[in-house]
Amino acid sequence: MTEVLTQGFLISLLAGAIRTSVPILLTALGDIFTQRAGILNLGLEGIMLMGALGGFVGAYFTGSLWLGVLLAMLIGVLFSLIMAFLSVTVKANQVIAGTALTILGTGLSAYLYRSIFGVQKLPPQIEAFPAIKIPLLGDLPFWGPVLFEHNILVYLTLVLVFVTYFVMEKTTFGLSVRAVGEHPRAADAKGINVQLVRYICVMIGGALAGLGGAFLSIGFMNTFLDQMVAGRGFIAVAVVIFARWNPYRALGAALLFGGASALQLRLQAMGVPVPHQFLLAMPYILTILVLLSVSKKAQFPAAYTVPYSRAER
Amino acid sequence: MKVKGYLLLVAVLLMSLLLTGCGGGDKQEPAKQEGNQEKKPLKVALILPGKIDDVSFNQAMYEGVKELEKEYAGKIEVTYTEQVYEVANIEPALRDFASQGYDLIIGHGFQFMEPIIKVAGEFPNTKFALGTGFKTLPNTCVYDVKLEEGGYLMGTLAGLTTKTNKLGVVGGADVAEIYRGHEAYKHAAKLVNPNVQIQELYTGDWRDAAKAKEGAISMYDAGVDVVWHSGDGIGVGVVDAGKEKNKTVLGNVSDQNVLAPNNVLSGIAYNWTPVVKQIVDDVLNDNFTNRNDKFYWLTVANGGITVAPFHGLDNTVPAEVKAKMEEVKKGLAEGKIEMPKFEK
Repeated sequence: MTEVLTQGFLISLLAGAIRTSVPILLTALGDIFTQRAGILNLGLEGIMLMGALGGFVGAYFTGSLWLGVLLAMLIGVLFSLIMAFLSVTVKANQVIAGTALTILGTGLSAYLYRSIFGVQKLPPQIEAFPAIKIPLLGDLPFWGPVLFEHNILVYLTLVLVFVTYFVMEKTTFGLSVRAVGEHPRAADAKGINVQLVRYICVMIGGALAGLGGAFLSIGFMNTFLDQMVAGRGFIAVAVVIFARWNPYRALGAALLFGGASALQLRLQAMGVPVPHQFLLAMPYILTILVLLSVSKKAQFPAAYTVPYSRAER
Repeated sequence: MKVKGYLLLVAVLLMSLLLTGCGGGDKQEPAKQEGNQEKKPLKVALILPGKIDDVSFNQAMYEGVKELEKEYAGKIEVTYTEQVYEVANIEPALRDFASQGYDLIIGHGFQFMEPIIKVAGEFPNTKFALGTGFKTLPNTCVYDVKLEEGGYLMGTLAGLTTKTNKLGVVGGADVAEIYRGHEAYKHAAKLVNPNVQIQELYTGDWRDAAKAKEGAISMYDAGVDVVWHSGDGIGVGVVDAGKEKNKTVLGNVSDQNVLAPNNVLSGIAYNWTPVVKQIVDDVLNDNFTNRNDKFYWLTVANGGITVAPFHGLDNTVPAEVKAKMEEVKKGLAEGKIEMPKFEK
């Protein structure tokens, strides 16, 4: 057990925690907009899968990872429009609509993947985003390898945390989003187009979920596999709630989950005398516990999951 | 407005279900035989819990059966269906094929055991084959892979080629044959290299390649220089970790060298054809129901388990390692290698 305390172990663990948390954090950042505008999008899992496929297809056929990223975000936006249409325009039940979207994304991504690539003996691959060692900072003794030897998407995600905070708290658009989520009628009376703001927020959520999916297929891995998102979309929804819609807390929450995942893998590998089934469940148990403890404090947007209609009172 | 909303929802739900099911749609039209043969071909139905391109368990079986269909053209006709995973869907699928007059129905997975036992009782003239399990009836059999033989081979290779004396093994779900494989890997590695330390982990599923990759990275970070994986989508993640860290990976299920030519040293490749052939032969020769041993094993001896070639890394493997591998292969094929029974 002395291995736990070595520096090498800690570096590996912390770097692993960051890598593991990025796809969740990206999706969660977008979902902050969506949830703040009053919409619960349980379709994120499906959107991430479509993004993972889109990113891979784009990178595979154009040879450019950035076009892959672009395609992933575009597909994320298009796919999220289904959610926006169902929840905003036709005012459907958001839980059902989101669940349907996840089922749709799971099936559609698998179906499209096979139509495009056929049945192959081994999966087609691309060269993923390489790790970039930041000059000077990357040479720092401990923090260098932990923080400054990741691929570009990881750094981009960290920048997006600040951008999300800035847009949400310091701009008129952010104010409109919050108004729409808290009191759509008042927002409407002030001349804010409630439906439009909600559409935009769902689309931002879709774009970032698509990017989160692409991080898995072309950022961390180098191929697409069916259901490779493996529940991260749902974890992102939970992260947003237990971060109480704050991007900085979302960063912490995603790192907590990523850290627990990275830690359990390492504890298993070292052979700690705990059944691996328990270790595997650890990150999820932790998520549930944290969610339970903060949910009392969480002030949900007042119009959360409530469709807005001028005609209804 | 409300009604319209729900209608749309139902439409989206239906569409998603449709698409989810679509993957398995392409059933093969049985080829019409020219020149009437006196004996009708044996109708074989293959029911897979996963997809034919899962790079693993399902794909290997699919290819094995397809291979036999080519070889036995005119003697058998094969239909397959994919992604019958839920137990609730298995029983109707089995009954469906049985009542359509299929002679041999193959359920490729442990979860088919109870449904097969139940449906086989109702259709005593239909033969059933179960992929891994332990219950049988006169008209059913079980086929399984002696993954301990594969694990033994990989453990030997890993134990002899490691430079840091640290090995790793990554698995998906902790099921019987995977457990046997892992245990044999550890057992064999310690036999050839008593100083070796072994790290082991399970990801708990077969699809989360990113999790498996992170797990393998953690092993390489801790000084491990050879990792074997026991298959499926997660294996792709382990191979990618080896490539990124430029360390050695041993593959599973099929020859995975092309995925990372500088890092995939070797691996285990399955060929299900010998087992399926044996089952089909027994059915054709009326030798199925009266067999005492209802178990068909994929082994090194029958060519079901093979070691993937070293490809471009051939010159990095010392001659004595190659000689030892041949010795182990021969020993396993002749049944001369003793190993403990690995049961949980």
